[in-house]
Amino acid sequence: MKNITTILLLFCFSIVFAQEKNEVEKRVKKKQVPESAKEWMKDAYEKKSRVKWYFQTDGTKKAYEAKLFWKNNKHSVEFDTSGEIVNIEILIDQNEIKTHAKQKIQQYFDENYSKFSIKKIQIQYTGDGDDLEDLIDEDEHDEDLTINYEIEFYGKNEDADELWEGLFDQDGKLLEKRIVNIKATDNLDY
Amino acid sequence: MKQFIFILATCFAMNSYAQTRSLGGFFPEASLSYKISEKYSVTHKVESQHFVYNDQTLDDKFDYNHSLTDLQTFVGRRLSPFIKVDIGYQYRIEEGENTHRPIQQVSILQRSSMFRIGHRIRTDQTFFKNEKFLFRARYRLKSQIPLNGVSLDPGENYLAFSNEIIYMTQDGDDDIENRLAGALGFYIDDKNKFEVGLDYRTDDYLVDNRFRNRLWFKVGYYKSL
Repeated sequence: MKNITTILLLFCFSIVFAQEKNEVEKRVKKKQVPESAKEWMKDAYEKKSRVKWYFQTDGTKKAYEAKLFWKNNKHSVEFDTSGEIVNIEILIDQNEIKTHAKQKIQQYFDENYSKFSIKKIQIQYTGDGDDLEDLIDEDEHDEDLTINYEIEFYGKNEDADELWEGLFDQDGKLLEKRIVNIKATDNLDY
Repeated sequence: MKQFIFILATCFAMNSYAQTRSLGGFFPEASLSYKISEKYSVTHKVESQHFVYNDQTLDDKFDYNHSLTDLQTFVGRRLSPFIKVDIGYQYRIEEGENTHRPIQQVSILQRSSMFRIGHRIRTDQTFFKNEKFLFRARYRLKSQIPLNGVSLDPGENYLAFSNEIIYMTQDGDDDIENRLAGALGFYIDDKNKFEVGLDYRTDDYLVDNRFRNRLWFKVGYYKSL
């Protein structure tokens, strides 16, 4: 049992410390998107017509993503290839993070980096399709919904000087992080 | 915008009462970049200008003429994922006199969800045998906009727009040059990029009766290892 725990722990460690973000994303036409995903969007976002659809893959995981503006916020809704909803991500400001989570996240940055800056924050809702629908069209917040914060940040410490994407839970605890690879800048520099 | 109006107005003014020189041609360039350590990288670049049109010649205005070829090498240090400093050296092969040019530059990457912008601040000094050296201070802004989706992925194309303003001074005389460029880019993968476009250069703004337009058809290959 101890061995398994050690292996599991090491595995988690490797997820937290060794992952890199290398997603490929492309624009797709609405007709290429699974019907059930379009249905869900129609139910939740009602009359919203300006939705941009994307297909993305990181090599193993494949997903469809709908991007739209809703009540002045940028929403990204992720579906799996069968059209089942995976999560909703909404772009937010730093001050929209709940106070206790914000403090914990701040503490994480202070303790782990000598220099850091937050580039982008998305609040991520995961859960049952109906609950997620209520969140959008009824503004109803079901307790079963999982809330995480996905934060893209620049962080420098003794070991690393990178752009990261970190996933924090609703209490501000870091769940995982990965390096965001910045594309070559040779054509911008020379 | 202000700057654009200034350039347009200057062009107009120059055209209306002064003699303007117009030239055009073909401008291939290629660069090769590789890392030598985690922070340091080396870039070699070769670029070459070939005139095919020159309105100053008395006989055939469409005549091929090799203008110059530049050989450049840079050593760069990445200060953060967004900031890089380089020192470089250029050897220019040109009719009359070949020249040496040390180059210093800082490049800053700015990202947005839809595109990215590279800011480049550069100074260089060109040394001649019988003349005083030429000092130039330059600022270039280049944007890269994906044409398919919000991020640029292998096999996709992009648009690149750039403008560079160059201030130069030599032996008490100064001048301004502007370079406006637009290109279609082919993002084969992160190590191979190809750009085809036009580069419109205007200079001798501050010299009487010498205002010059140059329009280049440019092709560029950016290779990294």
